[in-house]
Amino acid sequence: MKTINLTLQIWRQKDANSTGQFESYPAKDIDTAMSFLEMLDVVNERLTKEGKEPVAFDHDCREGICGMCGAVVNGQPHGHIKATTLCQLHMRHFNDGETIVIEPWRSTAFPVTKDLIVDRTAFDRIISAGGFISAKTGSAPEASAISIQQDKAELSMDAASCIGCGACVASCPNASAMLFTSAKVSHLNLLPQGRVEAKDRVTNMVKQMDEEGFGNCSNEYLCEDACPKEISVVNIARMNKEFRTASRS
Amino acid sequence: MNQTSTYQKSSIGKKQIVAVTGLILILFVCGHLLGNLFIFVGPEAFNHYAAKLAGLRPGLYVVEAGLTIMFVVHLMLTLSIAHENAAARPVKYQVSNPGASKTHSSCLMPLSGSVLLIFVLWHLWDFTFSNHDGLRSVLSDGVNYGLYGVVVNSFKDPLHSILYILSMAAVGLHLSHGLQSVVQTFGLSDGKFLPVMKKISFVFGFSVAAIFSAIPMYVLFVLK
Amino acid sequence: MLNSKIPSGPLKDKWANHKDHLKLVNPANKRKYNVIVVGTGLAGASAAASLSEMGYQVDTFCMQDSARRAHSISAQGGINAAKNYPNDGDSIYRLFYDTVKGGDFRSREANVYRLAEVSNQIIDQCVAQGVPFAREYSGYLDNRSFGGAQVSRTFYARGQTGQQLLLGAYSALMKEVGRGSVTLHTRTEILDIVVIDGVARGVITRNLISGEIASFAADAVVLATGGYSNVFYLSTNAKACNVTAAWRAHKRGAFFANPCYTQIHPTCIPVHGEYQSKLTLMSESLRNDGRVWVPKKEGDPRKAQDIPEEERDYYLERRYPSFGNLVPRDLASRNAKMQCDEGKGVGPTGQAVYLDFEEAIGRLGEDVIRARYGNLFDMYESITAENPYKQPMLIFPALHYTMGGLWVDYNLMSNLPGLFVLGEANFSDHGANRLGASALMQGLADGYFVLPYTIGDYLAGVPSGRTATDSDEFRQAEKEAEEKIETLLAIKGNKTVDDFHRELGKLCWEKCGMSRDEQGLKEALQKIPEIRDEFWKNVNVPGSGRDLNQSLERAGRVADFLEFAELMVNDALYRKESCGGHFREESKTEEGEALRDDKNFTHVAAWEFQGLNKEPQLHKEALEFETVQLTQRSYK
Repeated sequence: MKTINLTLQIWRQKDANSTGQFESYPAKDIDTAMSFLEMLDVVNERLTKEGKEPVAFDHDCREGICGMCGAVVNGQPHGHIKATTLCQLHMRHFNDGETIVIEPWRSTAFPVTKDLIVDRTAFDRIISAGGFISAKTGSAPEASAISIQQDKAELSMDAASCIGCGACVASCPNASAMLFTSAKVSHLNLLPQGRVEAKDRVTNMVKQMDEEGFGNCSNEYLCEDACPKEISVVNIARMNKEFRTASRS
Repeated sequence: MNQTSTYQKSSIGKKQIVAVTGLILILFVCGHLLGNLFIFVGPEAFNHYAAKLAGLRPGLYVVEAGLTIMFVVHLMLTLSIAHENAAARPVKYQVSNPGASKTHSSCLMPLSGSVLLIFVLWHLWDFTFSNHDGLRSVLSDGVNYGLYGVVVNSFKDPLHSILYILSMAAVGLHLSHGLQSVVQTFGLSDGKFLPVMKKISFVFGFSVAAIFSAIPMYVLFVLK
Repeated sequence: MLNSKIPSGPLKDKWANHKDHLKLVNPANKRKYNVIVVGTGLAGASAAASLSEMGYQVDTFCMQDSARRAHSISAQGGINAAKNYPNDGDSIYRLFYDTVKGGDFRSREANVYRLAEVSNQIIDQCVAQGVPFAREYSGYLDNRSFGGAQVSRTFYARGQTGQQLLLGAYSALMKEVGRGSVTLHTRTEILDIVVIDGVARGVITRNLISGEIASFAADAVVLATGGYSNVFYLSTNAKACNVTAAWRAHKRGAFFANPCYTQIHPTCIPVHGEYQSKLTLMSESLRNDGRVWVPKKEGDPRKAQDIPEEERDYYLERRYPSFGNLVPRDLASRNAKMQCDEGKGVGPTGQAVYLDFEEAIGRLGEDVIRARYGNLFDMYESITAENPYKQPMLIFPALHYTMGGLWVDYNLMSNLPGLFVLGEANFSDHGANRLGASALMQGLADGYFVLPYTIGDYLAGVPSGRTATDSDEFRQAEKEAEEKIETLLAIKGNKTVDDFHRELGKLCWEKCGMSRDEQGLKEALQKIPEIRDEFWKNVNVPGSGRDLNQSLERAGRVADFLEFAELMVNDALYRKESCGGHFREESKTEEGEALRDDKNFTHVAAWEFQGLNKEPQLHKEALEFETVQLTQRSYK
C-alpha cells in the first residue's frame, strides 16, 4: 500500500445565490488505490469530525455509468485520465505533495447549486424537447420486424453511450452542449424507428439547447477529449447535417 | 419565412451562415492570391491584370457589393456568436486545461478575425483606393509603374512589410481553422474524413499565408 | 393467511383472463385521477410514462438531479425474453420454469408466468423506443446465454443494457413531462407515506436543495424505490440507494415480505481497504468465457501464471459439470466463499478467486473477447491497475440485489389499498434467488405491462380527486419528519454517519451475509439495537436542515437501515431452511449444498410492524405450485 499527501484547493459556495471562493484543505495519508471520490470521502469525514461542513459533491453509482459525478480537476473535467469519470479516477495517478484544484462545471446553463454540485436540469429539458421516439406503451410491432444494419446499430449505440454528465459543456471554451445534444440526435436519428420524427427532433432539441444559454460550437473538439465515454464529434457533424436538411423543407 | 427566421436565429443556423459566407470569402482570397502572383511575372503583367479586372466594371461592382455583404454578415454573426459564447461562461476556471495540446486556433478566431478586419480596411485604403498614378507609383528608376509601383514602394518599407506579413499570418490562422470548420459545421465529414480535413485545412491556411507573404519578401529581398 | 388474489384457471390463461375482467377507468375520467410514482428507475419511469400516456395525471419523484440516473442504469449484462430467436427451444414455459427453479421454488408461480409472458412485449417496446440492442450481421437481434439458463435468451446492448433500457424509459418519461401530464420532481426525497383510514393517500417529501418539507396527495401511490442492499454498507448498489420509502410504508402498515432473501453477486471486484465506499460488479456474462479457479494448494504464494494447469482447481466445473461456470449466482458466490474459507483464496487479502480468460482468448482471440467484454475489462483495469487480458481477474462476491421487499398481491398492490409496489422494491417474482438478466425484465414488466392494467382496477373503484393535504394525517407526518431532522442535527456527537453505516454493514455481512446461523443471527439481533441507540446519541450531522445537506440525507437513510436491519435478521432467523440466497448453516446436504425445508417453509413470510423494539407479527402466504414439481435444485 502506498500513501501520498496532497493539498486540495476546493471551490466552496453555500448556494446558488451566494458567491463562492476557494478553500484549501490538506489530504494526508491518501492510499493510492482509492478513487478520487473516496479521497474526498476521507477528507469529508475528517472535516465532519473537526466540526466543519463537508464538501458537497454529486456522486451515485461510482462505477462510471450514472453520470452524476464530475468536477474540474486541475483544469480538466473528470481529471487528466482519458475516458474516465471522476469516480473511476484513482489516486495512483497523482503525485505526493501535489496541489489539486477542484472546481465545479462552469456554465451559465449549469448554475452552481452548492460547492461542486451544479444544476444540470437543462439537459433534461433538451431531452424533453425531442430526445425520444414516440412509441406509446403497447403500440410496438414485433421486435424482429425491424432489421437494422449492424454497423448502423453500432454507431447508434456509440452515441447512446452518453451518460449526460456534462463534461462536454464543462470542457468547451464556449460551454456548448452540442456534443450532448448531438449524441442523442445521432442515437435516435440513425435508427429506422427514429426517422419518422427525425426533423422535429433535431429542430426542437437545438431550439431548446439554444434557449438554455449554452454557447456555440466552435469546432475545437475539446469536448471529445473530455468525454468519459469518448463520444465522437462526428455526432456533431451529423446533427449539423440533420439540422440543415430539416430546415430546408 | 418563419422556418427561415428560426434557422437564422438558431446556433447551428448562424454558424452555417458564417460557414457559407466564410467559404465565399475563402474563394475570393484564393482568386485574389492567384491574381497577385502576376507580380512575380513583372510590372506589365501585373498592371495588365489589374486593368483587365477594372475593365470588368460595372459588373465588378456587383461582385464587390456581394463580397461586402458576405463580409458584413460574416462579421455581424460572429460578433453575435462571440457575445453568446462569452455569456455562456461568465465565471472562468481557476486553472485552464493544461492537457489541451490543440492548436486552439478557434480561441484565436476572434483575435485573428479582428486583425483581419483592421487589415482589410487598411489594405483597401492602402492599395485599392489609393492613387495608382502619383508619386507612390514611381520607382527608383524614375519610371511610373502604376499600381505595381505602389505595391513595390510600399513593401520596400520594412515596417509596412512586417505588418503585412503579420496580417497574412492572421489570415492563415483564420483559414486553417475556418476551412475544416466549414466541413464540420455543414456535417460533410464522417469519422474518417474529419482528421484528414483538419490536416488539409492546416496546410491550406499555412500555404495561403506563405504565398501572400512571399510578395513582400520578394520585393524586399529579391527586387533590386 | 394473506390473500394474493391469484386468478383461478390454468396457469397459461390466468393473466389473459384476469386482464379481461379488470375494471376499467373511462378514458375521459383518467385525467381526473392523480398517481404518485416514487423512483425513476426502470419500473418507476416505465410506469409513470405508461400511466401518463393512458391519460392519468402523474407526479414522479427522484432523489438524483435527473430521472436518468436511477440505479437501474448500472445493470450491465442483459434482459431475458422468451423470443426463441436463436431457435434453441426456448419458450414462455421454459423461461417461467427456469425463473421458478432459479428462485429455489420460493416465488409465486402465477407472477412468474406472467413475467415470462410479457417478457417478449418488453423487447418489442424497447426496440420501438430506439434501444440499440446488439445485432447480428444480418441486422436481426443477437442473444447470449446467462447464468442459470441453458438457452440463449438474453438481449443486450454491449455491457450497458441497464443504461440503454433506462434511457428508453427515461426518454418516454421526459416525452410525457414535455407534454405536461407528468410533473417531475428531481432532487426530492420521500420521507414518509401518508395513510388515511388504512388507504395510501400521499407522501411527505423533502426538497434536497432547499430542505423544504412538503406534502403530495394522490389517488394512488406507486413505490418503485429499489432494494435495500446498502443495509450492508458495501454493496454494488449506488451510494444513495436506500430503504427509506419502503421502510416508512412498512411502519405505516404495509407488510414486508422475505427480507432475508438477499442476493450476493459472484463476480465483483474485491474489497481493497477500509475507506472502500462501494463495490463494483463485473457483469455475470463474463462467466460465459471466463473460468473460475483457485490453486489446489492452500495459501499458494505463486502468481497465477506460475501455477501449472494440474495444480489449479476449476471448482465450479468440477462440482457442477453440466452448468460449470454458469451456475446460478447463489451457488457461484457460496462456492467462492467456501474456497476462501478453506484458505485457497487469492489476491492480497485472500478474499478473492480467479476469473481467467486465457483459454477463451486462446480459442477465440483477443479481439473477440475485447468486442464482448472490452468495457468491462477496461473498467477492471482502471480500478485495479491490472490487465485482465494478461492475467486473470480477481473476483469476490458482493451484495447486489434484494429479492425481498414490500408484500404485494397479484395486482402489485400492497396490503394497504392504494399503495402499489414495483420492481426490486416488491418481493414477488424472484423467490429466494434471482437469475441473471431478470431484474431488468421484472422492472419493465411491472412498469409497462402490469401496473397500467391493474391500477385501473383499483382506481375504478375509488372516487377521483385528491385528498387535501391539510388533513391531520398529512400535518402530523410532516411534523414528524421535521422533528426527526431537527433531532438528528441537534445530536452533535463524535461519530460520522458513515461510521455507523460501516459498523451496521459489517455486522450484517458477517452475521446475515453469504451464510447465516442461529447463533450469529441472535448476536446480530442483540447488536443492532445497540448500534441504533448509539447512533441517536452520538452521531454528528453537520450543517442545517434548510439547505442542501448530504450528511443529513445519509443520516436519515442510515437511521432507517438501522431499524430495517433488525427485521431482515429476524426473518433470517425465522427461516430455518436454506433456500436460494438465504443459506442457513443448519440446513444443508451432506455435500454442503443448500437444503430446503418444503414442508415447513413453502410460504412467503410477510411481516407486520408492531413498533420499534417489538417482535414483528408474521403473516404467511402459502405458495402453491400447480404446474411445477418441487425438486431439490441441481446444477450438477
